[in-house]
Amino acid sequence: MKKIINTALSISLLVSSALLADTITAKKISGSLEKISPTSNVWKGVKGATVILYPQTTISFNDKKALELNKNAKAKKAEVKAVYNGKRIAFLIKWPDGTKTIQKGYESTSYADGFAVQFTNITDPAKLPYIGMGNEGREVVIHLQKAVEKFYEPNGNKNVAMQVNVHNTYNFGKDVKKFEENVDKLANRDYDKVFVSEGFRSMTEIKGEKLNSFADMKYTGKGWSGVVSREMKDDYLNLNGKKAVAVAFAVWDGEKLNRDGLKLLSSWQPVILEKGGEEFAKAVLEKVKGDIKNGEKIAKDNCSSCHNYKKEQNAIPYMAPNLSNIGGYSTAAYLRESILDPSAVVVPGYNRNAHKNFEWYTVDDKGNRISTMPPFSHLDKKAQDDLIAFLQTLKAEVEK
Amino acid sequence: MSKRQLAMVMDLNKCIGCQTCTVACKTQWTNRNGREYMYWNNVETYPGTGYPKNWMELGGGFDAAGDLQPGIVPSIESDYGVPWDYNYEELAKGEEFKPNIEPTWGPNWDEDEGAGNFPNDNYFFYIPRICNHCTNPGCLSACPRDAIFKREEDGVVLVDLDRCQGYRYCIAGCPYKKIYFNPKISKSEKCILCFPRIEKGLPPACAQQCVGRIRFVGFLDDEEGQVYKLVHKYKVALPLRADYGTQPNVYYVPPTEAPPKFDENGKVIEGSNRIPIEELEKLFGKEVHQAIKTLKEEKEKRKKTGKSELMDILIAYRHQDMFRLDTGYYQEIAKQKNMKLSPVDHRYQAGKHTKKISHFKAVHS
Repeated sequence: MKKIINTALSISLLVSSALLADTITAKKISGSLEKISPTSNVWKGVKGATVILYPQTTISFNDKKALELNKNAKAKKAEVKAVYNGKRIAFLIKWPDGTKTIQKGYESTSYADGFAVQFTNITDPAKLPYIGMGNEGREVVIHLQKAVEKFYEPNGNKNVAMQVNVHNTYNFGKDVKKFEENVDKLANRDYDKVFVSEGFRSMTEIKGEKLNSFADMKYTGKGWSGVVSREMKDDYLNLNGKKAVAVAFAVWDGEKLNRDGLKLLSSWQPVILEKGGEEFAKAVLEKVKGDIKNGEKIAKDNCSSCHNYKKEQNAIPYMAPNLSNIGGYSTAAYLRESILDPSAVVVPGYNRNAHKNFEWYTVDDKGNRISTMPPFSHLDKKAQDDLIAFLQTLKAEVEK
Repeated sequence: MSKRQLAMVMDLNKCIGCQTCTVACKTQWTNRNGREYMYWNNVETYPGTGYPKNWMELGGGFDAAGDLQPGIVPSIESDYGVPWDYNYEELAKGEEFKPNIEPTWGPNWDEDEGAGNFPNDNYFFYIPRICNHCTNPGCLSACPRDAIFKREEDGVVLVDLDRCQGYRYCIAGCPYKKIYFNPKISKSEKCILCFPRIEKGLPPACAQQCVGRIRFVGFLDDEEGQVYKLVHKYKVALPLRADYGTQPNVYYVPPTEAPPKFDENGKVIEGSNRIPIEELEKLFGKEVHQAIKTLKEEKEKRKKTGKSELMDILIAYRHQDMFRLDTGYYQEIAKQKNMKLSPVDHRYQAGKHTKKISHFKAVHS
């Protein structure tokens, strides 16, 4: 009997893990996506997909309190829906969060819940940008919405450096009040930002030009629902004519002092727009079959002197990316590429001044980053597969 | 490391804690737009809690191996104090004079308290503090956006507000807690060493306004300058808490001129000094012994012979000698960069937002 239960259990586990690897299929609609919210009718009848968001542990941060609060962070299960109408594409992401945390008031220690959706033009599943905001030559576009109380940018043009004090103007009496009212109207804006990036240190806000996009988030009691709506094609991105594209998601928990890299993020997720995109989806979600036990041994022998992960904590912490959640937010192709050709994607890592003794890369005469990690191309195909199969198991457990 | 480095020397023997520097800075830069609680320049009583509260215990800086250490981001409410104001307008209507919020903490909450027992051995002195414009800045190293940069021309450390996303790791990384979070714009801001003044040959407002004339400003490589002489020639000006490993560029002449202690009968204990040397050693390192020795010797020499270059410098006769700034140097840079006006650096000015990604390539030796 016990055996039967066990088998039944393992089958149900298999089924649920198959469900977890769900692919996002964007539903084509004819209606407008100009003004939608997390509760719009447009989402009704759209099939949701499950996306797991894992804690970012590749690099750590220097905020003592935040480090304690996020020590054993768990992964979260989010539900994602996508719709498009040929002109615009929109995403809905619902994720659990027990506390609604808004960055507000005259405080220096208040942080916001938030979410981001990352896009790329690249459709070669083997050459997707680095998950952490792209890498040199593989650009990403990021839409970020944070639950920040409306904040103040005096000229309303996103140029915070251009602050003018009313006392530095020629206004007196009633005109002072008028000036201040005008500033208030102009200056208070929503924390809805769009960035273009080639690696997390290069993230640059897109402003000045008209980018026809918006984001919004609503708290429902158990968690947040966030929406991003953008044009299929603009100066930065062109999703037109593609059968499938890759997107990635991230969420922040202000309660745990999350901001920047202190977040949960997904791996690249395929979004099928049209028939024929399934091939791409399969490649992005590839689970490599291999001998995990043997892979673990290979990792211990070859990787653990520089990389820390899970129980293997023998390397000096700043030496190389921590791999504890690498299986959670990497594609199989990225892992393979990193093993065979580490310089193809070089993680920007820590500020070079923060841990001077540990250079993750050197820069050659042409300005190319050369990873300090040697290529492991001498591993045969089986060893590679075993190692990747093992690396794909490195991820935090999912919060219940 | 920058090509040249501007530095400031503050003579603690002469600081009277009048806060004129604080006011000069506040009216110039921080009385508005979310900066109200910030004191880019503050003067704190030592021993005391300082500003923000117990900043020396909040981490940041580097360990001996050169690794950035984790730190704590102070809270405006409990560690800095929320600025308050009074109901002046209502007074005319017969209202009671009261603050708009209940003050619970603020800069100089414990001003002039010091330590010891009055009148026998109590003591305190003032430490004016600005950003140290460190050679190895903790804030710059902590920033995950490369938003903080050190100017090549003079080593001034600035925040690029275009890149800053308000993550506040810089605050945790700075052991002096001299970078602040602006809650209104959700970005970090700090002392800019009055670079728009500096570029025109004027000293920072805090130095210009100092009534005790305790502040010297100049380039560390200018051997004719008083800053160079105090720091390198006589070695009487020392960095504050150099053990944090950030290589600060604000130097202090340690307080040597404290009165002697009294015994139980109220009589002077000859040769005693109220300021415990261990405290000075904690602040300024072992070098403080030699600095005090040099100061005493030069003082004696001046007494006997009427001559001492060091004493002449510390008397601070003329502003033009105390502030050796070089506007010609900046104008030359501006010319090379084909810029007509100050400031000479491109990054502090809000960029014209191009489609290009701005990769900031940090240059570190």
